[in-house]
Amino acid sequence: MKLAHLADLHLGFRQYHRQTPAGINQREADTAMAFRQAVDGIIAARPDVVIVAGDLFHSVRPTNAAIVFAFQQFQRLHAALPDAPVVLIAGNHDTPRSAETGNILRLFEEVGVHVASNEARRFVFPELELSVLAVPHEALAQAERPLLRPDGSARYEVLVAHGEVDGVFPSDRSTVEYGGAVVQPDEFGLGEWSYVAFGHYHVRTELGPRAWYAGALEYVSSNPWGELRDEAEKGVEGKAWLLIDLDSGRATPQPIIPARRVLDLPRLDGTALAAEELQAAIVARVAAVDGGITDRVIRLVVTGVPRHVARQLDHAVIRGWKAEALHFHLDLRPPSPTRSTGVGAPGRRQTLPELVESYLGQRALPAGVDREAFVREGVDLVASAERELAED
Amino acid sequence: MRVEAPGRVVYGVVLDAVAYEDLARPLDAAVHALGDPAAAGSPRDSIRLYTAAVLRQQPEEPLQPVPLGEVRMATDDDVRVALRMDAFTGGDHPTGIPIGTYGAAGLAAPVSLDADFLLGPEAAHLNITGVSGLATKTSAVEFFLSSIFQAFPARKGSVAALCFNVKGPDLCFLDQPAALSDEDTALYARLGLEPRPFDNVHYFAPCKPDGVNLNTLRTHPDLAANTEPLTWGLREVLEYAEVVLNRDDLDAKADAFIDFLDDRVVGKEFHAPELQPKEWKVLTFADLEAFFRAIFDALENSHRGDLWRTHHIATIRKVRNRLGNITTRAKGLVTDDGASSDLPWGAFADRAVYVVDVAGVDPLAQDLVFARVISKLREHLERRDLGVDHVVVFVDELNKYAPSDGPDTYVRKMLLDLSERGRYLGLVLFSAQQFRSQVLRRVVGNAGTTIYGRMDPDELATAGYATLSPATRIKLATLPKGELMVRHPHFTQPVFVRFPRPAVLSGREGVERFPPAPDLPFDEAVARQLRALDPGVSVERVRGLVGGRREDDVRRALARTRQARPDDAFSYFTACLGRRIEPERGTRRATVTPLRDPVDPYASQP
Repeated sequence: MKLAHLADLHLGFRQYHRQTPAGINQREADTAMAFRQAVDGIIAARPDVVIVAGDLFHSVRPTNAAIVFAFQQFQRLHAALPDAPVVLIAGNHDTPRSAETGNILRLFEEVGVHVASNEARRFVFPELELSVLAVPHEALAQAERPLLRPDGSARYEVLVAHGEVDGVFPSDRSTVEYGGAVVQPDEFGLGEWSYVAFGHYHVRTELGPRAWYAGALEYVSSNPWGELRDEAEKGVEGKAWLLIDLDSGRATPQPIIPARRVLDLPRLDGTALAAEELQAAIVARVAAVDGGITDRVIRLVVTGVPRHVARQLDHAVIRGWKAEALHFHLDLRPPSPTRSTGVGAPGRRQTLPELVESYLGQRALPAGVDREAFVREGVDLVASAERELAED
Repeated sequence: MRVEAPGRVVYGVVLDAVAYEDLARPLDAAVHALGDPAAAGSPRDSIRLYTAAVLRQQPEEPLQPVPLGEVRMATDDDVRVALRMDAFTGGDHPTGIPIGTYGAAGLAAPVSLDADFLLGPEAAHLNITGVSGLATKTSAVEFFLSSIFQAFPARKGSVAALCFNVKGPDLCFLDQPAALSDEDTALYARLGLEPRPFDNVHYFAPCKPDGVNLNTLRTHPDLAANTEPLTWGLREVLEYAEVVLNRDDLDAKADAFIDFLDDRVVGKEFHAPELQPKEWKVLTFADLEAFFRAIFDALENSHRGDLWRTHHIATIRKVRNRLGNITTRAKGLVTDDGASSDLPWGAFADRAVYVVDVAGVDPLAQDLVFARVISKLREHLERRDLGVDHVVVFVDELNKYAPSDGPDTYVRKMLLDLSERGRYLGLVLFSAQQFRSQVLRRVVGNAGTTIYGRMDPDELATAGYATLSPATRIKLATLPKGELMVRHPHFTQPVFVRFPRPAVLSGREGVERFPPAPDLPFDEAVARQLRALDPGVSVERVRGLVGGRREDDVRRALARTRQARPDDAFSYFTACLGRRIEPERGTRRATVTPLRDPVDPYASQP
């Protein structure tokens, strides 16, 4: 008995300004391509049941293109796997805040999809000896939640839910999607189900025996860099959907080949570097990207860059990179402010020339500039200005 | 007694008395009466010699021998001065705590203890010795607590009491009034106290193994409102693992593995690439069992020997067995699923009594309760965030928990620490035992105030009582109910006082008036606990709701409801239980018509 678990498709997700020749946001098209690729893979793997664990769309009012595309893909699935039920639940992105908005997901019942959009439903498929408790976001957000327990009515009992399992998300929460209903691990009885399919967290994560977050099929959050970091920490490589053997409990990630790579380049430390030195280091870092930066989503963080150094960088080159990549973000971060004098300590306040001398003594300088002469010149300038003021 | 001499007054207390008559032998009276028994008993001249110990001299300096002078019986004021109570019962800031009356020849002079020496900071702790069943220990502590709550000055801060009920129904009815005799009522009036039960009492008792019926004699429905379960999960237990693991059995290797679990695994995100799954967050005993199983599976599959992260498999198995055993031996106190119901740490109320009833639980669980509760008290008092400034902890049966011989248990060490360091924190130990000589000397020795009730003659024959005069020892062996001998830092000699019966139901009376409810079936027991939060909850509604549910789920929902104490307890409980979702047959749609215009909106070419 095989189950396909995918989640967080976020169809209609738009990011950056690049468009396809057809005038579609490029990232929206990338997201759709990932889903198409997943459907291709599912059709090839021929699972007995397909589970979509929420956030099919990125918003409660998706674009017409996204709706039509999703309809086509589900129709394709149904045509290719007529005996495999498809169970779809609504995630927080699919769930309108007010009831009168209605839920677009019900449309997919017309293509044979079993949809739980606002209430939990327990679908039983006797011919597969399968029962699926489908718990959408709204059912978990209510005060009276459904009982998340198998009812013992079938040989294979599967729970599909969309929410935040308490204690699983990273502690800094920078990659956590807001609005997810929190579920305590003891609420859904790990180990009691044939499989637990969760959606909401975009990084593929094993929750326990026979329980997974499938993760998103693309980098569809506002913080893809945090997602990359979480993946690195968890040892997860790229995006995938999961093929589960319900008898053995084994989960096999089915990788999605991304339309483009999302890269967070290794950080540079710009502390005490002159603008020319920093420019050279940045150029080297960009040049070292395997396969180049063309059409990719890239970020380079440089720390310890004072504002005057940032202004002196070659921005024409940087604009070139921005044009070449789908998105190039040079994240120049100023040095963290440090206080070199004691607070509240008794002592004399510095005079203006002394203050200037102290500042110029630390300021980053272009290569080849004699600091001593530079400081002396600055101090002399201030002193002469003071003299002029006094004479006036 | 009071001796007056020119320029000096000496106060003393009689310790011994001897009568001298003109007969060398008792038989001489019969000989002189020529065998007439009636004449032999006729009055004779006698001299009585009283030996008294000096309590106080005025002026105190220079120290002088006791002068010859007229001896008078003491008055109330004399007793106050003799016992140096004038220093703390008068003035603008009195700190006296009445403990009874000193009586001789019709006198009933109130005697008070100094709160600074009873609850700190000058000295602290109180220890009571006496045989059981003669209104010595429990009754005295109940009365003292009532007196402290009424007389402890508010400017000295707030005070609460935490009592461990270790046997029978002794402390189970502190909130129920008792009928007092006129004599007792008059005694209360004399001491300036009101005879009333405690008006803010909270009871905590572990559950029975079924997880819903409480393991206490205080199960009468009328008493349910302030009786709450005491249940702990893995986190609470693991902090005190060494309490529940036999020291002889627990070697350094097992200790290290437990530390590893506590520091790195329990309640934390633990990443273990070699285990399946790789990410762990162990919160409950059930999680811990799964974690152990994963380690054993990994070791078995890897064929890499018997070591997992430097811990030998035998050590891991040993710790697993011991920890797993806790949930069996302390079932009802320790829960598998992590739901805990605890004392209100951080929200202790002034003049409130918290009774932890461990009378019916396994000794191992008792040790665990002692260790954790007192450690938590200490932690909170150190941080000054318990909610009160002083806590009186009452522990009976010190012979059992801090014996002078036997193994050095965690509980004994903890009681010793409490008695040695507690007063700096405001943590005051009121302890009681039958045989003081058999209690760890440093524990009783740290008690600033010592009380003796009716004593066992064998106990009085031990070395600790050698400083008492023979008459005092005889009096101690024959003390009537309600009388005590008191030693207090202000009193230079032990003083006998009489205290009134506490104004609360005794255990025996309480059990007669509020007989414990029989153990109820699961659903009724759940209903009873919910009724404590919302009296309108009926058994029928609860039965309809929990019928067919798993008991673990019901217990978890009940624990959450008790924790939240919502206005509408039943609705909250219902929500926690979760709605049952009825199955529906997934119908298959035979054919789906594709869209008429098959253009892919996301096709790469327009």
